[in-house]
Amino acid sequence: MIHSFTDLLAGASLTTLPQQLASGILLGAIYALIALGYTMVYGVLKLINFAHGEVYMLGAYTALFVTWALGFTPNAPNPPEARVWMLLIMLLASMTVCAIVGILIERFAYRPLRNQPRIASLITAIGLSLLLQYGGQLVLPVSPPPSIDSKVNPFSDNVKFVLKQGDSALLTQAAGFQPKVDQAQAAFDAQLKSEKSQFDLSPRGEELKKALEDVKREQKVVTDSANASKVEITLPKGQLIMLGMVVALMAALTYLVMFTKRGRAMRAVSLDFNASSLMGINVDSIVTFTFIVGSSLAGAGAMMTATFLPGTQINTYFGVLPGTKAFVAAVLGGIGNIPGAVLGGMLMGIAEVIVIWLGYDAYKDALAFVVLIAVLIFRPGGLLGSAKVEKV
Amino acid sequence: MDSVALRRLGFRLLWIALGVAFAFLVQWVALSSGQFNSNGQRLFFLAGLYVTLAVSLNLINGITGQFSMGHAAFYQVGAYTTGVLAAKFYSDGAGLASKYPLPWLIGMMFAGGLVAALAGFIVGLPSLRLKGDYLAIVTLGFGEIIRIIVQNQKSLGGSYGMDVKPKIDFIWLSTLLAIATIAISRNLLKNVHGLAFLAVREDEVASSAMGVRVTRIKIAAFLLGSALAGAAGALLAHHETFISKDTFPMDLSFIIVTMVVLGGTGSITGSTLAAITLYLIPERMRDLKDVPVSYAALGVIMLIVTVAFVRRTMEKDFSKLRTVKLVAPWFVSIVVVAVGGAALKNVGPLSKVIDGQQLRFVIFALTLITLMLLRPQGIFAHHEFSLQWLKKVLARFTKRSGEVAS
Repeated sequence: MIHSFTDLLAGASLTTLPQQLASGILLGAIYALIALGYTMVYGVLKLINFAHGEVYMLGAYTALFVTWALGFTPNAPNPPEARVWMLLIMLLASMTVCAIVGILIERFAYRPLRNQPRIASLITAIGLSLLLQYGGQLVLPVSPPPSIDSKVNPFSDNVKFVLKQGDSALLTQAAGFQPKVDQAQAAFDAQLKSEKSQFDLSPRGEELKKALEDVKREQKVVTDSANASKVEITLPKGQLIMLGMVVALMAALTYLVMFTKRGRAMRAVSLDFNASSLMGINVDSIVTFTFIVGSSLAGAGAMMTATFLPGTQINTYFGVLPGTKAFVAAVLGGIGNIPGAVLGGMLMGIAEVIVIWLGYDAYKDALAFVVLIAVLIFRPGGLLGSAKVEKV
Repeated sequence: MDSVALRRLGFRLLWIALGVAFAFLVQWVALSSGQFNSNGQRLFFLAGLYVTLAVSLNLINGITGQFSMGHAAFYQVGAYTTGVLAAKFYSDGAGLASKYPLPWLIGMMFAGGLVAALAGFIVGLPSLRLKGDYLAIVTLGFGEIIRIIVQNQKSLGGSYGMDVKPKIDFIWLSTLLAIATIAISRNLLKNVHGLAFLAVREDEVASSAMGVRVTRIKIAAFLLGSALAGAAGALLAHHETFISKDTFPMDLSFIIVTMVVLGGTGSITGSTLAAITLYLIPERMRDLKDVPVSYAALGVIMLIVTVAFVRRTMEKDFSKLRTVKLVAPWFVSIVVVAVGGAALKNVGPLSKVIDGQQLRFVIFALTLITLMLLRPQGIFAHHEFSLQWLKKVLARFTKRSGEVAS
């Protein structure tokens, strides 16, 4: 039970906050990429594309298959050396496959229902999402859960940003423990040779073991306090590159939407579907184009998550939670609003990390829904959107 | 009391007696048939609960038009309420629950229904401001929140689950609950209050202008629907004797929605029939252990082709043979799947077998998509299944082909 504000912060340590915020921004960048797909489709069709999370899942699987084709099969005797062009191929393949899936979904599931009540499209979207999840179980590799070989990633070394140096006295003290520990370990090892077994020690052996444990414990206490006194952010290089790519993709999207003819058509369709078709815009092709852009962004996000976040396991439910959270991010920013999706994604990523930082990681998946309900009740238009008045 | 009122009362009692008699008949069939083991009895029991769930969701989704997708949460709340109370009053077989099983269970149905109605009230509040797909997502979100909270409560067994003792098992009670739910929905539609519910579905603004208290009606629908689902949960808890997060997966809500949508939103008989069919088919599929890939792959391909063909006919073709063209593709594709599947059964990769159970959700998903593409209003739309309805439909079919002919 929470009794006071200090209890709420019990699991958190302020010195780890910058690190957490950094991972929150990285997570948020991915959410933002997926949220863009939701928001753009909603913009032109006023439809929540529930199958978007599954498109993301298929993107991750595509990246996986490409690494297998490149020779990084599980248990391969000598996989080739990792190269940057491999990552580029993976990225392009994921984006292409997702774009194709997006086109197919729009053409065969949503277009026939465009004149029906919106709830029909919603149910179709749910059906599609279930179909891809459970149908995927039958045809895609799921067990043991595959993951992209970490050797594919040539950028796995860490980059460290030191925000505040640790207490130098504590650090030297901590470093000073190492010889003591080594000494005790050596003495114990020497004694162990004359012992019958590791588990049945003579009194002398017990004594040395206890001394070793004591010195190790002291070392840990001092090291912990030394570590707590410094503030730094450690990030794998790959994740920084991921952030850079997300920014680049978003810049490209901004250019596409704001400064090209197609982008202008897209904005027109989003403003008024019927009027823009009367003005000579080929609405069907714009809708297809929107699906291509949104789905390929999801594909890029999936490839980067699966490759750069170490230990990411892929299964057919891979897209459910990121999809839900990204959808909430889109609603939070104002659905249909492109900068809103980016803002919402970042906020969702940071909020999730902060909930974990506070020690409530069991509730991190409920957070998305709480935010969603709060937004819909108190500010239905989202942060950057404007709530429309329903006309009779 | 005059004679009319007396006769009405008599009819009402007769209907109630018939309902109870039917419930006992179901129990008798379930218990006496030699071929049904305990698993078969469970089938009858759960079929009753699914009908209850589908018809009660139809009350919210179909009749009042508030698209809710978190119905499994109310079911879960009912079950866990019962679990907590049973744990409190069960003392090694000497507690209230073991001494008076039937009154206890009925009491639990009310308790579970009450707490679920409270949850329904909370979930229903956003429906005052939201509509359509937003409401669907918020209700889905509430369902998930309830699930996650229950999973993380130590006092409710956490992610492990909780025991509910003792085992109380009345098949007739589940059937009776289903009948009662159907009766409540049907009676609601037969009087003036029900018209208010329908009015809210058709046009909120217009009905509020006509003096319908829209807020009240929406909340009432959520209260009633969730209470019935909670009562079903109470029955389930004492029947299963163990409830955990896996008893109420997120997909359960989708299954219930599928049942309502398939039957036709607003149609009570539609929801009932769809609930029974959609529950029994996958249960039968549990026995299907090995399905060769050839059948599954051909099935999916033929489904896509048939849907495309039937859609084309529906949109463009108004010839004399329209009815034939709408029905024939299904038969053709069934034959193709049966023959082709058997022929290709031993060809290379197509000979691999799939566990039939894994196909269950694929079939649910395909049903949903096919239905939305061909008949988005559901099989019965908002009509009720009756002999008159059947006659009307048949008459329309014959009349249309006759007209074109002349």
